[in-house]
Amino acid sequence: MAPGGGGMTEAAPNQWLRPWARGFRDAAMLPAWIVGLSLMGVGTLARDVGYPVEAAVLSTFLVWAGPSQVLFFASIAAGAAWSAIALAIGFASLRFLPMTVSLLPLLRRPGQSVAQQMLIAHFVAVTAWVEALRRLPNIPPEQRVGYFLGFANALIVVSAFCTYAGFHLAGIVPTPVAAGLLCLTPIFFLSSMVAGVRGLGDAVAIGFGLALAPVAGWAIGGGFDLIASGVIGGSIAFLIQRWRKARKAGA
Amino acid sequence: MTQPIAFLDGPWWPYLALVLFAVLPTEIWRWLAVAFARKLDENSPWLEWVRLVATSLLAGVVAKLVLAAPGALAGVPLAVRLAALAVAVTIVLAWRRVMLAVLVGEVVLIGGAIWLS
Repeated sequence: MAPGGGGMTEAAPNQWLRPWARGFRDAAMLPAWIVGLSLMGVGTLARDVGYPVEAAVLSTFLVWAGPSQVLFFASIAAGAAWSAIALAIGFASLRFLPMTVSLLPLLRRPGQSVAQQMLIAHFVAVTAWVEALRRLPNIPPEQRVGYFLGFANALIVVSAFCTYAGFHLAGIVPTPVAAGLLCLTPIFFLSSMVAGVRGLGDAVAIGFGLALAPVAGWAIGGGFDLIASGVIGGSIAFLIQRWRKARKAGA
Repeated sequence: MTQPIAFLDGPWWPYLALVLFAVLPTEIWRWLAVAFARKLDENSPWLEWVRLVATSLLAGVVAKLVLAAPGALAGVPLAVRLAALAVAVTIVLAWRRVMLAVLVGEVVLIGGAIWLS
């Protein structure tokens, strides 16, 4: 039982404002700046293809998925077909389905509206998800939604600021630093993917993805090359992982 | 460079393109998750395959961004770009520190760009 719990009016600030503020502060301490750093490159990429800064910042608020945003601007730069861009982004974002499905039960409240669940779901992205799964179980259930929203809001606000900064910095810094801003995204993605490797399957998927993309780009092109290399690399990784599991189960 | 779709082109095109080809294909999975959250088994092999394909796809994006580099990055020798990635991955494998890996990788890239230009 929550201390002093009961009446809605009495409990409301405790359930929303304080957990929200605590979540916001926890994220603004460090995680938000790490995400922000990865989205700084998105601003630089957007500028590179001639899109306005508003579109770059809006992409952080509305898309809220670094890989999708990078795919969007980088594919435009590469001249991919629009259908190929949407398909690649759809595939890269499929991971949000299992991620969101596994997070929602932690944040479920009696009588929760669909609108509130959709709001929560919108904030699901790698960092918010990883941190929420780690932190939420230690927070009283009635404070979790407030805490999660505060945490996610800090991530998205800091990241929007960084996207804006990345766009404008690209125009004023010396060329080597501008190159460094553009390289933030690949370095950050690869580093966090390698840090998140949980088994042979993950490692194989990364290896094949890196190796196949240039080959597919040469053989297929047109933007569908990324999807092809992803499906082939991911499927090989999946088969290897299944095969290993079956062997372990059989031994 | 991908050109705007002719009959939809105009000052709002960048925002329209963003919503149609980036926001929708991303957000739809979050909405579907809300709709099916109680029915889906998060441990199904199907979702495992999806996760691995997405991982491979993202690795492909990294390879493309570094090999066919955009803008100012194209002016940095390929060896320097690859060295920056290699150093970052080594640091992650050795110490599991993503932030440190990104910072050192950036130092290698910017340092190499200055030194070799």
